Formats: sequence, structure tokens, C-alpha cells
Amino acid sequence: MVRGGMNHEIALGPSFAVLKVGLQRGDVLTAEAGSMVSRFPRVKMRTRLNAPPGAGFFGLLGAFLTALVRRAVAGESFMVNDFTCDEGGEVTLAPTFSGTITARKLHHQSILLTRGAFLACTGDLKLTMRWGGLRGLLAREGLFFMEVSGTGELFYTSYGGALEVPVNGTLTVDHGHVVAFDTGLDYRIRLPGGGLMGLFASGVGLVVEFSGRGTVVLQSRNVSTLTGWLLPRLP
Amino acid sequence: MQIDLQHRPSQAMAHVVLGPGESVMAESGAMVGMTPNVQIQTGSGGLMKGLKRLFGGESFFRNTFTAEGAPGEVYLAATLPGDLVVLDVGPRSYYLQSHAFVASSTTVDVDTKVGGFKTFFAGEGVFVLRTRGQGKLIAGAFGAIEQVDVRGEYVVDTGHLVAWEDSLQFKITKAADGWIASWLSGEGLVCHFSGHGTLWMQTRNPGEYGEEIGRRLPPRES
Repeated sequence: MVRGGMNHEIALGPSFAVLKVGLQRGDVLTAEAGSMVSRFPRVKMRTRLNAPPGAGFFGLLGAFLTALVRRAVAGESFMVNDFTCDEGGEVTLAPTFSGTITARKLHHQSILLTRGAFLACTGDLKLTMRWGGLRGLLAREGLFFMEVSGTGELFYTSYGGALEVPVNGTLTVDHGHVVAFDTGLDYRIRLPGGGLMGLFASGVGLVVEFSGRGTVVLQSRNVSTLTGWLLPRLP
Repeated sequence: MQIDLQHRPSQAMAHVVLGPGESVMAESGAMVGMTPNVQIQTGSGGLMKGLKRLFGGESFFRNTFTAEGAPGEVYLAATLPGDLVVLDVGPRSYYLQSHAFVASSTTVDVDTKVGGFKTFFAGEGVFVLRTRGQGKLIAGAFGAIEQVDVRGEYVVDTGHLVAWEDSLQFKITKAADGWIASWLSGEGLVCHFSGHGTLWMQTRNPGEYGEEIGRRLPPRES
């Protein structure tokens, strides 16, 4: 499967998909830290803070401070690796959880990803952290969203399968099932009906209410549900 | 012994058919089901072998399943969801990442070896297994299995290794040039292969998965 730009293939899916990318001179593949499975020895890897290239001192400082907060509160990784290969080579990437990988081409567009959804990107795409609201902090779910904007190809991952849902009006979904959504959509993170009691009784975590027109990507599994299942079984 | 793999690749299970008197040795906990004439014998194969396995992150004991008087069947599965691969030991010998062992013929000798000094600090892949003898071996993976025929050189994250032919030379190194860069890159250690031979990779990293889940669970009370 070859689709413009860099050659790439999403293989061995849907349960345990990997992304293989062929690199030529001048190509740069930006990948989530720790996602590399294998590479040709001549493929070079450079680690950098998740800030746009040429961000300047304050841009870097901002990225650094955001990184520290994210690391401390949410345990998220804050580095990305740039892969290049002047002589031509291949690199294979995989996400942490079981699930599929989806490629999406962006053309002067932007999309918001939830925690852990970013796998890699190519082209002229900017990665920025967006504050997700205080309620996300309280629930220790995704505190930040990653905004990916510009022109290029984005590869995101989902825990389980990925389902694109068009929104025209409003859509309410469990926070833990959200992978990505268009920046054109308004969203509100709130407790499910019934206040605090509802949060505990319904088994649903925080919900996100989307409104407007756009697309929301949902995943068929939820990491919070998995850890919730594991918790009472621990010694 | 006949082995056929079912429900591949996500939830693979091995169906092992044993001739009368024939045995298969499996990792503790791998048995799913068996015919009534199959006898289980639990042993460590010697205290030192058991201890070495224990240090390598495997179980101290292993179970030997023997078909008594008639052919018998045993179903075996690994702990994490993923694929299995059957290796033919004898024509070739293999190295295995220590958690990859699921089962083998009793005529295959699986020895635990220290994989290198550097791995000690990273806490992953400290031990590798080396096969000797002759027979079949079933290796398990977390996720799908990708087979790579190496002609020259290839680099694999140590957390994604399943097995490789011993005709390949391998060296465990830092993923980036410096220790700090390797840590920041999140890649930790990689295994640098050279020569001619086949290797098998798993498409998910158990250590990384455990860390990600563990972070969301409360600390263990000691």
C-alpha cells in the first residue's frame, strides 16, 4: 500500500498493527518516543522536545514546562524522535496498546488527539499541546490534547478498532473512547447525568459533549475500563 | 509430535498431538486443556536450572505432559494475547527472549544465558534462552509476529524480540549515542544483529505495556 509522500504500510492489523515507513533522502518521520520496533542500521534517530522546529527560546521553554507538567501529572511522554535516512531505509513503529493504526492526510487542517493517540507524522505538521480543562485533571484522564495542524500525513492509534463518527448537531461520548476530533467542533467535558453519584454509579467516566459539524474518532476499547477491571483483582 | 496453531494471530493456541509415551514440556500455566490419558509431571529439571529460569523471569517449575498408552492431545496458550511460532530445533539452534518460551519437545534443551552486561541496567532482556538438541519449540509473542530475513544488518528494540537463529551475531546497545539521549528517546536498548539468518519480532512491547498499565494502578502495599 503506497499513498503519496513517503511509502508506508500499515501491516499485521487490526488487533496488533504496525506502521512501516520507507525513508529517502530529505524525508523526516516524527514518531512518539518509545514507539520504534526496528530499523535499518543506517536510519538515524534524533530525539527532541515536542516543540515545532525553530520555536525559539520561549517556544522551547513553553514546551519544556508543558512537558514537565504532563510528565508529572499524567505520566505522558514529552519527547518525539525524528527518523531520517539519506541512503534509503525503513523503520517500523508500534503503539503500546493492542489496536489498529489509521493514516489521515491533512491539508491546511488541524485535528485534536487524546492522550496516547499520536503515533507518528510526516510533512509539514505542527504538534502543540492544548489544555483539556480542569475536569480532566480531576479524573486523571487526558489532561492535554495534542493539536496536529498543517499539511502532511498523520498516523494515530486506537485501543481496539477506530470508528469515524460524523457529527452534525451534538454527540455525547465516554471520554475514554475518544481518539481524535476536528478542531472545528466545540466540546465540553462534563460529568455524566446525576452529578457525582452518577459518575460512580453509571460506570461511565467523564463524558465529552461535541457540538457543531465535524468528525469524531472513537476507539472500541477504553483503558480506564481495563484498569478499573484490574483494580479489585490486585493483591 | 504434531503441532497445529489455531486462532492466529491475536489469540493463538497450540494444539499438540502426542504419540503414545511421547512428552511435551510447557511453561507453568500454559495448559488450556488435554485428553484424560495425558499425565502431568511438575519439575524444575534441577535446582540450578529452575533458579536460573526464575532469575530470567520465567517460572521455577515446568510441566511435562506425557500421553500414556495411547495418543494424547494438549492445548497450550501463552499469557498475553498474540501469535505463536513453531521452531524446528536441530537443523538450527535459536536464541529466545526469556518470556517467549511456551513449550518444547523434551529432547530440546533450553538453557538460560545472561544476555550481556549492559542489559542489566535496563531491566529488560537480561536473560536470553539458548536451544540445543533436537525437536520442536513453541514461542509466544505479545501481538502479531513479523519474520525478518536478515542479510547484513538489522536493529530491533529489545522489548520486541521473540527469537532469532544462532547464525546471527547480536550485540545489545543503547538506542541513541548517549545514555541520556537513549532514556529520553524512550527506546532504551536495542539489539544490533549482523550476518545471515532469520529473526522473529513481536508487534507489541510487554514491558512498555506493563509500565503504562502499572502507572494507572495504585502502588502495591508491601
